[in-house]
Amino acid sequence: MRNLGKKILLPILALSMLLSLSACGSKTGDTGDQESKSPVESSQANNDREEPLVITLSGGDCGYPSPYLHYSRGPGSFKMRLVFDSLLEHGEEGLIPWLAEDYNISEDGLTYTFKIREGVKWHDGEEMSPEDVLFSFEYQTANPPVGGISTALGKENNIITDMTIDGNNFIVTLSQKSAAMLNNLGSVRIIPKHIWENVENPKEFTDEVCGIGCGPYMITEYNKEQGTYKFEAFKDYWGQNQEVDVIQFVPVSDGILAFDSGEIDLTGITPDVYEKYAHSDEYKIINNPGFWGYKMGFNLEKAPALQDINVRKAIAYAINRTDLIDKVARGAAILPGEGYIPQQSVWYNKNVKAYEFDPEKAKDLLDGKTYDFKLTISSSNDEVRMAELIKLNLADVGINITVESVDSKTRDSMYKNGEYQLILNGYGGWGGDPELLLSQYAYGAIPGYSNEQINKLCDEQLLETDQAKRMKIVYELQNVIADEVPQLPLYNTTGMSVYRPAKYDGWTYMFDHHETTHPKISYLAEK
Amino acid sequence: MKNFLLFYKSSSISGKISMLMIALVFFVAVFGTAFSRHSAFVPSDSAFVPPNTEHLLGTDDLGIDLWAQICEGAKLSLTIGIFSALLSGIAGSFIGIICGYYGGFFDKFVMRVSDILIAIPSLPLMIVMGVFFGAGIQNIIFVLAVFSWTGPARIARSKVISLKTEKHVLVAESYGAGIFYLTFRHFLPEIFPVVMVSFIRLVNRGIVSEASLSFLGLGDPTAKSWGLILNHAISFKGIYFTDFWKWWLVSPFAAITLTVLAISFIARDAEKFLDVKL
Repeated sequence: MRNLGKKILLPILALSMLLSLSACGSKTGDTGDQESKSPVESSQANNDREEPLVITLSGGDCGYPSPYLHYSRGPGSFKMRLVFDSLLEHGEEGLIPWLAEDYNISEDGLTYTFKIREGVKWHDGEEMSPEDVLFSFEYQTANPPVGGISTALGKENNIITDMTIDGNNFIVTLSQKSAAMLNNLGSVRIIPKHIWENVENPKEFTDEVCGIGCGPYMITEYNKEQGTYKFEAFKDYWGQNQEVDVIQFVPVSDGILAFDSGEIDLTGITPDVYEKYAHSDEYKIINNPGFWGYKMGFNLEKAPALQDINVRKAIAYAINRTDLIDKVARGAAILPGEGYIPQQSVWYNKNVKAYEFDPEKAKDLLDGKTYDFKLTISSSNDEVRMAELIKLNLADVGINITVESVDSKTRDSMYKNGEYQLILNGYGGWGGDPELLLSQYAYGAIPGYSNEQINKLCDEQLLETDQAKRMKIVYELQNVIADEVPQLPLYNTTGMSVYRPAKYDGWTYMFDHHETTHPKISYLAEK
Repeated sequence: MKNFLLFYKSSSISGKISMLMIALVFFVAVFGTAFSRHSAFVPSDSAFVPPNTEHLLGTDDLGIDLWAQICEGAKLSLTIGIFSALLSGIAGSFIGIICGYYGGFFDKFVMRVSDILIAIPSLPLMIVMGVFFGAGIQNIIFVLAVFSWTGPARIARSKVISLKTEKHVLVAESYGAGIFYLTFRHFLPEIFPVVMVSFIRLVNRGIVSEASLSFLGLGDPTAKSWGLILNHAISFKGIYFTDFWKWWLVSPFAAITLTVLAISFIARDAEKFLDVKL
């Protein structure tokens, strides 16, 4: 009998191995006791407002929220922006004055004057002064933060000739006009001089005080291993009241499961589960604008065959992007603009050329030749599935793809260093100022690719401060880009987010951004 | 063949069913692609078709037939299971024989190494090695073998230590028999049944490990393996709130569980039949 028990143990062991295997796959942190209130309880909490309003969102490590330490992707930079304010903020409609009460651009477009707000305090209690603003600009020009700092025209040509303070005014003088400069100057994070002035190497400055800003939230807890954050409202904040008292990020394995059990307060959903939430007053569904997208990058240096424009065009014709949208995005995406600017952007040129799925045309363009390329992807499920379909699509026209999957941080650095032939990359920010076309296409942004006309148009649109004229140049630029296919946009996602309005109903979008949890204004009283 | 029939007759009901099950998996693995009407790599229908007569197990998110993918996965699982077990079984036995026969420093050294390998949890290390050597069947087999040779080696070693004091071995030695003669004439026949049982278990370990590695996304991302189908199904957003899991998640899970269970039952019966204790 004892023997039998031993032998029954084996299959049970095998089963439990399987089970533990699935436990390995899902990152279940200790989210058990956090915020699992039922909706009824939480709505009460909201009405009385005695208890602080705690919003819990899906976490994951994005680096420490300091301008030099966060990860370069959206979830990293927006957390940093909760802590660090800038002169201007992105609102629902456009730029809004923030640390600068007011700003003024001289008629020749060369002098920018920002009136710095008074009575702003740092998280450590010190007063913020215009000195800090000047210091922030000088320091970060010398030591570029994670996202870089755009004070240049073209690639390296710094056009800021002078920065000075005069009373409460911060004055910037340029050598040339630039259409994107207001946004660029307005986005620079203001950092405290008394903390940073003696820091030689900001990338290695990891002391806790590097997280002191003057933004609406203070970082009070951060755990790199678990990817958890806790942000608490800054009591002495100068401006709009924080509606949300605490924002915390916890690791979840499945966003929808976690939302359903009340562990998190907002999650992205796919059309497959739309019905589940659509017909209930308990939930509210909002649509994300299509400013997040996937593209396929071409490296003309590592894969010289791509220098042939017909090969690039053939790839554009051969990939069935509608199929990718249907299957990988489950329909929650739109075709991209072939000129990179997404369809929902105000800068989108409706008449831009489109590459519809046409394998025959692709074959004609390739003229019977076959090619071999390596496609680098991150190991995320979407990209793996996309790669599978792209591989089949391209095999049909005679292009053989070897898929190489790496983890997403490795992929990002490979992309940055140009260590790829073809690469899949998905990121946000497609809806931003058309200045982004410059960093995407011009002056060697694409390895081994250079096009005089694109460079020229990119510079021209930046120099043109008249909106209508600039629009025209940007339209033309999109035509050239669509014609050249220096890289291939695949689709722009238009996902949905669901939340419980009884708990918190302040979610909103910035005018140029796809995510509702990213804008600072989502958590503040006035929008 | 006669031995096998004897084994079959002596097996319990569960053992017999298990053998049929494994035979079926073998059949599917070898003839699977001819057996299924659709390709395991090319979409053949729209996404998420529920199981029907056209698609026995339905289709996945890309519209690829799941039955075809399970067949393809059986091929991969069995290949990895059997080859990793063969490699570690053969290498392990020979290492064990040498250790047991000669003893001394080499024996001590190898046994301490195997102590270390047994003590270290293998999955995390396999993950590291999987990342280091990259995806690919050969690499997975190699990595699995590195962690699995210790079992057969210990069994072989202890058997040889007791065998080398037996009279017939001593007599053979006194006539001048070397290690090769002794190994093939006297040691292997004695060791074989014991190593056989451990081999069957290693097959199981190989299958489970391959599934875990590809489940964690460390295999070739476009290959079709049971672990990878599970991986895709589980990472599908909101899978539990749709009907898709009923075929997309359950079929690879059932395939892994049934195969592993069947092999375990066979190992149990083999142990009894060959009268060995591990």
